[in-house]
Amino acid sequence: MKAVLFISLTHVATAIRERVTLFWFLIFPVFMLVILSMIFGQIAEEREISFDITLVNLDRSEMDSSGFAARVTDAFEGLAGPTIAAQAPLFTLHQPGGAQAPADFLEAELNLLRRGRRAAVVVIPDGFGNAVLHGVVHTENDAQPAMINVYMSRTSIASETATEIIGQVLAEVDRAILIGAERFDPKDEIESRAHWLRQEEAETRYIDFLLPGIILMAFFTNGLFGVPGAILFNRDRRILRRYWVTPLSVPRYLAGFSLGHLALCCLQFWILFLLGRYGFGATISFAQPDALLTLVLAAATFMAFGFLIAAVARTANAGMATANILNMPMMFLSGMFFPVSGLPPLIMAIVYANPVSYLVNGLRVSLGVESSFFQPALMVLVPLAWIGLSVAVAARKLRWDVER
Amino acid sequence: MTAFRRLLVAEMKILMRDRMALFFTLAFPLVFVLIFGFLMGGFGDASRSRIGVHIAHDLDRRVLDLSIATAGSMEIEAYDSIESMEEAVAGRDVDFGLSWDGTALLFVYDANRVQENFAFQQVAAGIGADFNLRRQNAVPAISMEPIDVGEVASTGWFNLVLPGILAFSILSSGLFAVSGHVTSMKSRKTLDRLVVTPMRPVSLLAAIACVRLAVGYVSVLLTLLTGVLVFGLRYEVSWFRFTFFVICGTLGTMGIGTIIALLVRRPASASHIANALAMLMMFLAGIYFPIEFMPGFLRAVSKGLPLTHMANAMRYASGVMDMAEAEFWAISLSFLGIAIILFPVLARYVVRPLRR
Repeated sequence: MKAVLFISLTHVATAIRERVTLFWFLIFPVFMLVILSMIFGQIAEEREISFDITLVNLDRSEMDSSGFAARVTDAFEGLAGPTIAAQAPLFTLHQPGGAQAPADFLEAELNLLRRGRRAAVVVIPDGFGNAVLHGVVHTENDAQPAMINVYMSRTSIASETATEIIGQVLAEVDRAILIGAERFDPKDEIESRAHWLRQEEAETRYIDFLLPGIILMAFFTNGLFGVPGAILFNRDRRILRRYWVTPLSVPRYLAGFSLGHLALCCLQFWILFLLGRYGFGATISFAQPDALLTLVLAAATFMAFGFLIAAVARTANAGMATANILNMPMMFLSGMFFPVSGLPPLIMAIVYANPVSYLVNGLRVSLGVESSFFQPALMVLVPLAWIGLSVAVAARKLRWDVER
Repeated sequence: MTAFRRLLVAEMKILMRDRMALFFTLAFPLVFVLIFGFLMGGFGDASRSRIGVHIAHDLDRRVLDLSIATAGSMEIEAYDSIESMEEAVAGRDVDFGLSWDGTALLFVYDANRVQENFAFQQVAAGIGADFNLRRQNAVPAISMEPIDVGEVASTGWFNLVLPGILAFSILSSGLFAVSGHVTSMKSRKTLDRLVVTPMRPVSLLAAIACVRLAVGYVSVLLTLLTGVLVFGLRYEVSWFRFTFFVICGTLGTMGIGTIIALLVRRPASASHIANALAMLMMFLAGIYFPIEFMPGFLRAVSKGLPLTHMANAMRYASGVMDMAEAEFWAISLSFLGIAIILFPVLARYVVRPLRR
């Protein structure tokens, strides 16, 4: 037992001392947690997104006594100021200066839009005020709304999102104009309500969805790179050979190695969990049997997978290369970061064969942050099958010493 | 010059025999493109989603149908009861549901579709606003006309992602090419034998750079071709700019990679550092996520990363993003400058046997 504990301690200490290992096991998952929650968390919660947009008012309508163009301008200027302390405004608004000719300014801003420096350019055309007034006064159904041109780029998600938000801002201005003109009765307005299935009040928070995925990503890289790395480099550098001249047997070495690997997984779990909880306000609780069992199953599956790679690779470098090849497809074709529904059949076949898919979905289902994508039994059986296959191959093919 | 020619031939043979290195240089960007191409094919486009509709109150049914139709080309599935519609939403038979009982529009979402609900809610907001206007026969006083200024008729966000992936593959292979190869030569002690010949250190680096550049260029072309043929992406490539940038970008990142070769002894360490640097930059350089979605300080970090400028230059050369001509040449020549300065300066320190 002492030898087993000693091996496990050695495994943990070696992993922590290796700066490279430390980067992939801890720093990279922490980086992913921070970066993804900052980007997608704020998209979902509409917190700190900020767009550079341009507003050019070319309207010189003489009849526009109601100042319709000014209302549009006011709406955008209102959103360009900080709404909540210490939070960036929704828009950074660019408008022509006093001495600048609007047409020249517009041309320059359109160039900036093409170059990705602006998310959208809003142009209130000449005659806009008159057109609004005409539409409000003439109540016939074929009256055309006054147009506002929004220049955008469909190749940019930021531009498309900014355009959608601009559409909502203009819809609000439109509503106010129609109410003022008694063309729209707010009392008769139909309310839109949201009903969330599986949650009582609102949708699942992004950090609660992301955290289990990042924890499994950390376990996955630990198993995929850590296990073959440790076994094969120790074998190729003849470190394992020194063990075999002591009374230590392979099963006891394996027991110690596995214990050390699980201890590393525990360390990863706690660091990521505490960061998610106290750094980003995650509310999920892993203290439930299903979640804990899935975590243990995941750690075991990825460790076994690591042994499978160690068994089929002839050298440490070949093992690392194999792990590198498998890493991206297995991670991204599992639903860990992107939804996988609706993929072509050939790609879906990879998703269905991938043990990570079942473990990620299983953990999220057990935590109540994702609906079930697979049959519940498969979430356990497929990873178990991979463990069985990996152990069988490793038992037959894994060499514990360099070839003489 | 003879030394350089011989080294060039030797390096070409080494790369052709090293199937793993060849695979990583040629096929890895393809794997990236295939995975992300399929994953991001319909990214963020909720106007083609499936909506379940339950109408309990026959009044305004036609108006509601018109409002749904204006929201996009969605698949509509009708349900007899709200319970069956909720079941369909929960079972992912439809993406979200809409129930109209004559008093309120009830939009039903699966709370656990965290990555997609934002887009569904945007569609729902549009349906609600349009429905209210139509019910009261109110013609909108103002309306928005989106005008696309994009250089290329876009097939989606992935049109812009692919040149970013090309820039990333140039960066990652450039960072590792010199550092990995030189450290590998050191560990196999082949460098010990070379340095005692009259070969100039910079000739060796130049030979490695030329061979990797040629293979890298083929890899970039294959990746671009895959994007065009498999995903139907369209580009208006300026081949002169494209080729010039690939050369400058590859040489510049190889120059940066030479610094790694100076710092580490083992090929595995060089690979890990190159990989780590490339991955960190990939997520911060606006390759997969727009920079505008990042918090302010990350946007500032992003602007300081070489990959951000490489991706933009690649997009410009591929014809999917505009850029000032001077900016493109400034980026390209900066990378060339890095290579011209770093290669000769660092060669004498890098091309030397492993310290014992």
